[in-house]
Amino acid sequence: MNRLKRIGVLISSILLLGTPLVFADPSGAEIMQAVYDRPQGQDMSGTLVMTLTDARGGTRVRDIKQILGRFGSVDKKLMVFQSPADVRGTAFMNWSYKEEGKSDEQWIYLPALKRVKRISSEGRGDYFMGSDFTYDDLGNRHPSEDNHRLIRSETVNGEDCWVVESVPKDPKYMYSKTITWVSKQKMVGVRREYYDQKGKHLKDLTIERVEQISGFWIITKTEMKNVQKNTKTVMEFSNVRIDTGLREDLFSERTLTRGL
Amino acid sequence: MKTKARLLHRLLTLGVLALAPLRISAQTADTPKGVTVNGYGRTKVGVLLNNGDYFISENTLNLRMNYTAGPTDFYANPVLYEQNGVVQPPVLREIYLDYHEELFDLRVGKQQIIWGKGDGVFITDLISTKDLSQFLVPDFEEIRRAVTAVKFDLYQGYSSLELVWVPWFTPTISPDPSSIWAPSISFSVKPTINPPTTPKFNLGNSEYFAKYSYLGESFDVSLMGGWLWNDTPAFTVISKTFSPPAGLTELTVQPEYYQTYVVGYAASATAGPLILRSEGAYYGVKRYHADLMLFPTGYAEKPAIQYLVGADYSIAGITMGMQFIQNVILKYDSALLEDRFKNTLTLVVSRTFFRDTVKAEFFSYVGLNDYDALIKPKITWTPADGLELFTGMYIFLGDSGDFGQYHDNNGLYLGAKLSF
Repeated sequence: MNRLKRIGVLISSILLLGTPLVFADPSGAEIMQAVYDRPQGQDMSGTLVMTLTDARGGTRVRDIKQILGRFGSVDKKLMVFQSPADVRGTAFMNWSYKEEGKSDEQWIYLPALKRVKRISSEGRGDYFMGSDFTYDDLGNRHPSEDNHRLIRSETVNGEDCWVVESVPKDPKYMYSKTITWVSKQKMVGVRREYYDQKGKHLKDLTIERVEQISGFWIITKTEMKNVQKNTKTVMEFSNVRIDTGLREDLFSERTLTRGL
Repeated sequence: MKTKARLLHRLLTLGVLALAPLRISAQTADTPKGVTVNGYGRTKVGVLLNNGDYFISENTLNLRMNYTAGPTDFYANPVLYEQNGVVQPPVLREIYLDYHEELFDLRVGKQQIIWGKGDGVFITDLISTKDLSQFLVPDFEEIRRAVTAVKFDLYQGYSSLELVWVPWFTPTISPDPSSIWAPSISFSVKPTINPPTTPKFNLGNSEYFAKYSYLGESFDVSLMGGWLWNDTPAFTVISKTFSPPAGLTELTVQPEYYQTYVVGYAASATAGPLILRSEGAYYGVKRYHADLMLFPTGYAEKPAIQYLVGADYSIAGITMGMQFIQNVILKYDSALLEDRFKNTLTLVVSRTFFRDTVKAEFFSYVGLNDYDALIKPKITWTPADGLELFTGMYIFLGDSGDFGQYHDNNGLYLGAKLSF
């Protein structure tokens, strides 16, 4: 059985049977590719509440409405900030291409300036809205950008998981490696450790809640903790709706300025 | 004129009322309903560095009220100011009604309409006029004035067509002649300035604009055209006295607004790590000060071009942008008092620190003809959500030119803003 077929069978097993795999462990690359290819519906809408906690325990909350759609080889996302008051109405749109090497395209709308502005997407390592997530952490990093190795299997919170180490091919990438725990049953990453460029443990991502919505496994609560700075960010999705038939032209200048 | 104005006001009001109850196909279950009120309160104090005089002392309450009912939105933006201890009359910065359909939007009322892709320049951004009573010192949000207009946007995929009718003329506010921001005048004697003549109210004096826009993969572009009034008056000499050997000893000028047409474009594109931008416009007529001996009216009318090219770049959390702007007077005459080419650079750098709670910004204009500049550094600290404490400076370099003429007006300001 070639690798592609194995991945196909692997995904089919999960979707159709919902049972753990019974054949030999796939490679690290196959696992990460299967996670990347995990069906998530053609579109999604919902509300994201982001809670930032600083090292002294102080919290800040960002409330965001967002829509996401997959149109051929392009993933489009549009986010509109509802709170806090000083950023209300600020909107951000990202078009991400599956084509290898093609940069994302991004636009921002600032209500005070009443203008949509195309912005650079090169700051993938920048932190998103002061959180512990970088733009790249939030994106769908293509598995081909890393070398993957299956280290072991172990159980996390009752979930039987593969543990995969991923080392970026680009030595200048902001992380020297990541280690991901992937649920064998749901084919969803449930935990990830990030290591900085010096190889020191930097951040822990924990998937706190995965829900089956419209037949798809959707991550609805995650926590990113910076173990070096002792800060954390919790992202919680609610009102998640899948495959409601969002039109592609909704991801436009008009929606950026009008909001969701 | 007043009767016509009232009639047009009534027609627009009737139009707004007629649109309000229409049903829509684009409405969804998620459409918010009801009134929302938000805004901010701000206090701001600024001092001139050369003498310690306050040049800003104001408290502001800016309310943004929105009411949504089905396909219609009503928006009002009243602003209350207290300046130098005096409460100013309330200002309605914007008040308009929106009607949304699946394929189009219609907005009627007093509104800010912002076009173009340049930062800090007004090449195709010609609909909303400006309040230059404090030159370019206030935030751009406050420099722009709303105009009473009807705006219609038609959408097709990623393209849109925008049509704007501005029935009422709204002038740009120039600095008071006694203000520290009054620009230098290029006449050899201090002229007597008559009150400006404003355009009569009629259909022929309306402004009309159209813009086609496309936002898509790799690039965004817009093409625009307009028939408009020059919002800043040109001075027409109506009397002068020459007394040999002293020369010009008396001058009376009449500020006049004039109509012209403009066609232009704006574009931006992603090129690797860069965002490239360009914007340009051809102005059918502009009035330029000229030698009084050759041009008795004090000005000459010439076509002109203004354009910019620029690039933005982001690295390690720092966002940088640079623009080169050139004004070109076509069919140039040596009797004109302005240079044929006028070149300006803008530079912007910004960075956030401490999980976005501190933002440092630096914006500057650099005049390449007179070697002058305006530098605007600003630091904003957000100790809690919605609360901003800020401080900044205005530094004018050079002795002459658009910016250097204000070299005595260097200032420092600080303030606090609470959004709700």
